[in-house]
Amino acid sequence: MNLREAFRAGAREIYANKFRSALSFTAVSVGVASLLYTMAQTKGMQDALQKNLDLMGPGRMTVEKKRNYKSKGLSRGLSYADAKALRRELPDLYMVTPRSSYSVKLYHGRTKVEGVNVAGTTPEFRRRDWVYTLNGRFINEWDVENRARVVVMVEPAVWIKKPFWAKFWGEDDPYDAFGKRVNLLGARIRLEDAVFTVVGVLTPPPRDLDPRWDSWNTPNALMPITAFQHAFSRSADNPDAVDEIQVETGSDRTLGSRRRQIEMILKRRHRGEEDFEIKDMREEIESKMEDMRKYVKAGFALGIVALLAGGIGIMNVTLATIFARVREIGIRRAIGAGRSDILAQFLLEAAMLGAAGGLAGVALGLGGLKWLATLGGTRDVAEITWTQCAEGIALAAFVSAAFALVPAYRASRLDPVEALKAE
Amino acid sequence: MDAITVESLARTYEGGYQALKGVSFSIAKGEFVAIMGPSGCGKSTMLNILGLLDRPTGGRYLLEGAETAMLDDSRITQLRRARIGFVFQSFNLLPRLSALENVALPMAYAGEGVAERRARATELLTRVGLGRKVENTPLQLSGGERQRVGIARALANKPALLLADEPTGNLDSKSSVEILALFKELNAEGMTVVLVTHDPAIGAAAGRVIRIKDGALA
Repeated sequence: MNLREAFRAGAREIYANKFRSALSFTAVSVGVASLLYTMAQTKGMQDALQKNLDLMGPGRMTVEKKRNYKSKGLSRGLSYADAKALRRELPDLYMVTPRSSYSVKLYHGRTKVEGVNVAGTTPEFRRRDWVYTLNGRFINEWDVENRARVVVMVEPAVWIKKPFWAKFWGEDDPYDAFGKRVNLLGARIRLEDAVFTVVGVLTPPPRDLDPRWDSWNTPNALMPITAFQHAFSRSADNPDAVDEIQVETGSDRTLGSRRRQIEMILKRRHRGEEDFEIKDMREEIESKMEDMRKYVKAGFALGIVALLAGGIGIMNVTLATIFARVREIGIRRAIGAGRSDILAQFLLEAAMLGAAGGLAGVALGLGGLKWLATLGGTRDVAEITWTQCAEGIALAAFVSAAFALVPAYRASRLDPVEALKAE
Repeated sequence: MDAITVESLARTYEGGYQALKGVSFSIAKGEFVAIMGPSGCGKSTMLNILGLLDRPTGGRYLLEGAETAMLDDSRITQLRRARIGFVFQSFNLLPRLSALENVALPMAYAGEGVAERRARATELLTRVGLGRKVENTPLQLSGGERQRVGIARALANKPALLLADEPTGNLDSKSSVEILALFKELNAEGMTVVLVTHDPAIGAAAGRVIRIKDGALA
């Protein structure tokens, strides 16, 4: 039997029973869509993870105040001096930069914006997580040493394609609105009670493309740590305090040893008090990714289950088809079809049904992913390759054919004489 | 060598019913034979066995001199496909296929190319007088026309033996006469024709009548 003809005959049969066919491959579609989404997510996650890690640096860690720690009164807590000491004692560290942030009121002309997230840092800030385009200049060593009242504003990130939720609350961010109206470079702005000159403007990449996993949590303005401490210090007993110190060793091989050294240095400087903790940010991201991987696994399981359910559906339909076509089987046998011809015919029909379901599933999956991509922002942008689509369809066809095997075999074993008597 | 030789052919169904109780006859090549008998006498069973759709439970069946008892299913299928053409009372055309596709189907199972199939199917349909209706589906044809398609299909693989089970049973008298004429014409060209009927007119048209009663020759 010519394959092309067999396909045509199968297509005709499927088309003749549209409703039954559609019903039977619905579950297959769901299975394929779910598997496709899972595969895409896995790929998207891996890409996101890799980009993130590249951006963070291989030996990245964060030193921050230990949570719920009650000071014995010996240590004055994490300070800019600690950062300078680390830089001095471990000169091979690629990046040591303190960071403190504070939410302040911004005044410019008649505009007042609340909730502007200002961060104090040092020029070394640029060494990692740098995704910005810079207009003007960044803060420099001189600024830090002289407590210069300069500020680098970060423009609100735009969307290439705005997700629907951003239309509800993203737009209302007052800082976003402010950033759009003012040409910030060179302007003098007031933050709380201090006047700063805007010496630079940073433009982040569009949010859709921002590889940082915490891109929503970045400061709106950067200034020298010293100026920040002078203007916004909240700690009466330690004006030199900082929220955290970002460290990058430059290599994942030195991560462990430098971590221990940093611990020692800081413990000594804090008179034996361990009021800080060092967080391996990579670990944190990886554990987050691990969580996501669990969801993906659940999706995978769902896909498999749906596909199996779909297979049983196909089996059912094949049984029904065969039952309704016993006479046809008899006729075909009488005019020269062998058992293998009958077997092949029903397997092919089932495979085609499965492939049709797979195709519908791919459409569903692609549509769903497109929607989810706009929904979830940067990190959920998943990629689907044509190979994966083809694999999905092939899998659906294969599963369907496999489930049709038993009914099709039974059809091929029908007694031709009995089959011809059927109505 | 005879086209068909049966020796004490018996067919007993599960449950013990004996449809055939030892029938012997032979049919020479080029003969036109009618098997006749009352309903339930076993003539359809006989035809199914002759057509290799069914197997006897006793006796021998030689098709063109060759024993058929030892053949496995695939060999039987091959033989049926190549040497035997079936014509049914209720036509048994596939309703979703056109006349042309119905006629081409046995050739497809025989593994012939698409072009040859098309050409031969068209030729056969023209020959049975349906040259202008090759694309019609069975539902668009009259009973007589359907049976012509059935005959064309039976001839598709150039069989040596044409078996017909009450071929005019579902037809009006005019169509019956035409179909019968077609059989005679084919027989005149050398085709061995065996048909089962209880229509005495058809029996009279046949060269020989084999009468069966209660599973045995009458």
